[in-house]
Amino acid sequence: MAEKRITIRTTRFDPEKDKAPRLQSYDIPFSDESMVVLDALNHIKAHVDGSLSYRWSCRMGICGSCGMMVNGVPKLTCNAFMRDYWPRSITVEPLQNFPIVRDLVIDMEDFMHKLKSIKPWIIRNQEYPLGAGEHRQTMDQIDEFRQFSECINCMLCYAACPVYGLNNEFLGPAATALARRYNLDSRDQGLKDRLPVLANAEGVWECSFVGECSVVCPKGVDPAKAIQQTKLDTTTRFVLPYGNREG
Amino acid sequence: MTLPGGDAAAASTGSATRVYKPEMPRGWWLRRRHYFQYMVREFTAVPMALWLLWLLYEIQRAAGGPKVYYPSVSPAFIVFSVICLGFALYHSITFLSLAGVIIHLKFMGKAVPPRAIVAAMFGLWLVASVVIAAVLIGFAR
Repeated sequence: MAEKRITIRTTRFDPEKDKAPRLQSYDIPFSDESMVVLDALNHIKAHVDGSLSYRWSCRMGICGSCGMMVNGVPKLTCNAFMRDYWPRSITVEPLQNFPIVRDLVIDMEDFMHKLKSIKPWIIRNQEYPLGAGEHRQTMDQIDEFRQFSECINCMLCYAACPVYGLNNEFLGPAATALARRYNLDSRDQGLKDRLPVLANAEGVWECSFVGECSVVCPKGVDPAKAIQQTKLDTTTRFVLPYGNREG
Repeated sequence: MTLPGGDAAAASTGSATRVYKPEMPRGWWLRRRHYFQYMVREFTAVPMALWLLWLLYEIQRAAGGPKVYYPSVSPAFIVFSVICLGFALYHSITFLSLAGVIIHLKFMGKAVPPRAIVAAMFGLWLVASVVIAAVLIGFAR
């Protein structure tokens, strides 16, 4: 029986030589039904072309490193099964809307800056000493923010967001979802610190609710929901009496 | 398939790494069904705005009182109005259907299900439509 094979086309870009990225085809064996696109890239790197560059780490959908465009859709390549594409060829490109550093590697500096700007950590007006014990939460209080805490910063939502593609000043989906995660946390008192970033012109109001960010999220987070709910919250705080006075 | 056009003269970042900055292609909204539906939803605002401009013109025409005012009955206008109604319904239905995502309500300490919020929105829409229709019919008499 003839060996099953599949064509993988990947973006190649060498900043030292190329003016623009191009696609290169590789014909590789598809021997195992459990193969994912990341396995194909690893096969190419190990057996065909060692110069292919891409990011990956955990191979189990946790680290968020291996996000790429697979046939035009943002995916974690460790979670994109080849059997879902075969016998069609698979085109792997870097996450769209980001500058390309080399081959499939993007420059994530802009996202890291945005992530830092919303202060994704618990902020307290006054820190209790460790000896005072833990900050207790009920299950209902945890459920308030739980889904937003699932974000792994894989940036697929940014690649799916045309608003970010057209204006990269936009704060974007994941950063807003994580801001909401902390704003909804009963232990956190940092809302006032985050509001200037969330409510400014390039914050949540730039979003026109395309909704694709929530569709592509591999962890089931709903960033579109976080953004729309933040819009409603900031409006309520602005309209209602004493709304801007943080208790 | 090729990557969309971008900054061929690779720009530099703070770390002095040369990068390629792709640009969004003009036809980005044709690439995926979801993007296309979004564009249709946004586009519905255009015919609705045109119809509202016409309404302002009619209000200005009606300034002379009921004796000198006569409504437009041209077939072209009626067709235009029906098309606008279709767009308005599409816009309203898609907008109200998203209410369950946007509104986060609690009742008796428990989160109100998104379905109930959407149903309430459609209910309010129906009530508002009936009230407005009753007022207009009342004035017409």
